[in-house]
Amino acid sequence: MKGIEKHSKEAGAAGPFIRVKVLRSGGGNGGAGYFAEYDVPAAAPLSVMALLAKVHDMDGSFACRTSMCFKGHCGSCLVRVNGQDVRGCVTLVQPGETVTVEPHSGFRVIRDLVVDFSAPAGAGDSGAGGGGETK
Amino acid sequence: MTAMDGIRTIEADVAVVGAGAAGARAALAAAEAGARVALLSKGPLARSGITITAAGGMQALLHPDDSPEKYVADVLACGYDLADANLVRVLAEDSPARIADLERYGAAFQRQAGGGYDLRRFPGHSVPRNVFIRGGGSGLIGTLRNACLANPGIAVHEDFYAAGLVPRADGSPAPAGVVGLDLKSGEICFVGAGAVVLATGGCQRLWEINDCPADATGDGLAMAYRAGAELIDMEMVLFYPSVIVWPPSLRGAFVHYEFLAPEFLDGEILDRDGRPVLPKPLPVRDVAMRLMAEAIAAGRGGEHGGLFWWAGEGPKSAAGQAALNTAQYKYIRQHGVEPLTDKIEVAPGAHYLLGGIGIDAQGATSVPGLFATPECAGNIDGANRLAGSALMATQVFGCRAGQAAQAWALAHGAAPPEREELAAEVGRLKGKVAKEAAGGGETAAESASLTEVRSYLRAAVQQGAGVRRDAAGLGALLRAVAEAEEALAWLKVPDIRVYNQQLVDLLELEAACTVARLVAGSALKREESRGHHFRADFPARDDGQWLRHTTVRRGETGPEFGSRPVIR
Repeated sequence: MKGIEKHSKEAGAAGPFIRVKVLRSGGGNGGAGYFAEYDVPAAAPLSVMALLAKVHDMDGSFACRTSMCFKGHCGSCLVRVNGQDVRGCVTLVQPGETVTVEPHSGFRVIRDLVVDFSAPAGAGDSGAGGGGETK
Repeated sequence: MTAMDGIRTIEADVAVVGAGAAGARAALAAAEAGARVALLSKGPLARSGITITAAGGMQALLHPDDSPEKYVADVLACGYDLADANLVRVLAEDSPARIADLERYGAAFQRQAGGGYDLRRFPGHSVPRNVFIRGGGSGLIGTLRNACLANPGIAVHEDFYAAGLVPRADGSPAPAGVVGLDLKSGEICFVGAGAVVLATGGCQRLWEINDCPADATGDGLAMAYRAGAELIDMEMVLFYPSVIVWPPSLRGAFVHYEFLAPEFLDGEILDRDGRPVLPKPLPVRDVAMRLMAEAIAAGRGGEHGGLFWWAGEGPKSAAGQAALNTAQYKYIRQHGVEPLTDKIEVAPGAHYLLGGIGIDAQGATSVPGLFATPECAGNIDGANRLAGSALMATQVFGCRAGQAAQAWALAHGAAPPEREELAAEVGRLKGKVAKEAAGGGETAAESASLTEVRSYLRAAVQQGAGVRRDAAGLGALLRAVAEAEEALAWLKVPDIRVYNQQLVDLLELEAACTVARLVAGSALKREESRGHHFRADFPARDDGQWLRHTTVRRGETGPEFGSRPVIR
């Protein structure tokens, strides 16, 4: 593991932010990875999913899933946060916090945080249907 | 099959581009009819696309008091008489069989205690008509995903970005196949196929405010346009009044405008000073959105450009409590927002593309051998649509397009691609990657420049082609699109082989510019107001002139806009 690649602010930079450390790798389990660090301006809490999309906007070479269902159902957002496999879309991070994000442990890594879900995974969830939506 | 050196060739009878509910259904229909299908999905199956955001309502002709006539009349009335009646009739007549198919594939629908479907009546339904699939949109696409994976005739290609169609070498305008990028391997591929089905969904991500996943960039619309297909009513985008703009972690989610009604929450839309923006009883959605857009334009909006959805102070009915007890509201609560009490900053946002690629009842476009299915196909709904129409249309027209594509491929076979066109499309992709070279070479763009161009385009679309439109604003949007395209022409992305996400970002943005121009030009063309298309400079509905579709095709020097009659 190499040292941390920093995309961080200098001390004293204005405004609240969230420090995100992401594990970057070219893919393939067992390949050496390294952590890169990004400071994402954030005046309010952000989900890990929203944070990662912002990191990708700051550094397009960093890869992550960006599609989501806005219901906590689909599992596009599965990642490992501070050592725990979670749904990134409902994992909130507060301004001022530092968070470490790695690929979800259950799937093969394609690149950075993008994993290959075609490894065994269940069908679409069966949560509460109904409601009054219009789509 | 003749292909170029250095690109991988995949062969199929039918290539289906897009693997939401429509594409997956088209793939199943084609494969069940005997075709070898290549199903190309931009992201992972059932974890990408727009279907996963749906609640699961599907309008189907299942009630004993319902009839095709009532169904068709309801859809046409809701769409301000702008839907093609031949397509709506098909939607009505095929709907029960497509529900039965979904059950055959393993889906379950909500049923009453007696065993019958729990049919619900939504606004505009003369008879209870919506059935609900268990698991909502995820349940629907999960079911179809499993059926596709179990079908040996379907080869699924996940993380495959389809970029462009290539015509046949024999001079026919029919596609010989699809050029795309296999993100997992980094290879540029040519998918040779006898027929192609486009099922790529809408383009709602063009708008700054929308409630769709990042995938909804309009790629297939741009592909169809570039291949010469006719697109219709591209100005018709369904907006939703209450898309969340703050807090930022909830951007893209929405809260139901309908739930503010007295029988649910008896709530309000408030301005920054807490004054109600809408009269009571609350107006229908399109009226509400115009009033909201005016209030925002008049400076009554909050810090983040929105108004405030509020459930109100009064006691909540059982229906109101239950309405906020779904996965969608659980998700909102998980972000620290309590919808029963908190004021949530919302604004009208793009929700669904009503217009799109023009199709006939078999899903055939104006280009032979090229088929399309909603949401990327238009003329099914008109200027507005009923709740439950979108998911049903994916199944009815997905099935028809898949069957028709199989039949077309069987009759005409596959053919080699026109070599110069293939080389040009491959070159377009390769040309966006900066080539490092000893002693210099090209430099990849800063990530910021791509993000800036995208933000610029999306703000311009929101401003010029949002709820309130006029000629000056649409003209400004067209100029902004030209500026964005000019900036994009110089952008190159780093040479990353596996999962070059920035290359997809750039290709999506290029497609988005193409589609934004079609939206703006069509909106300029329709000099009237109808349904979700509101022209402040032409505020009245004009049936004398405009009981017609706007049309657009690629011409010699750019898009050629026109119009044609609606099919009665």
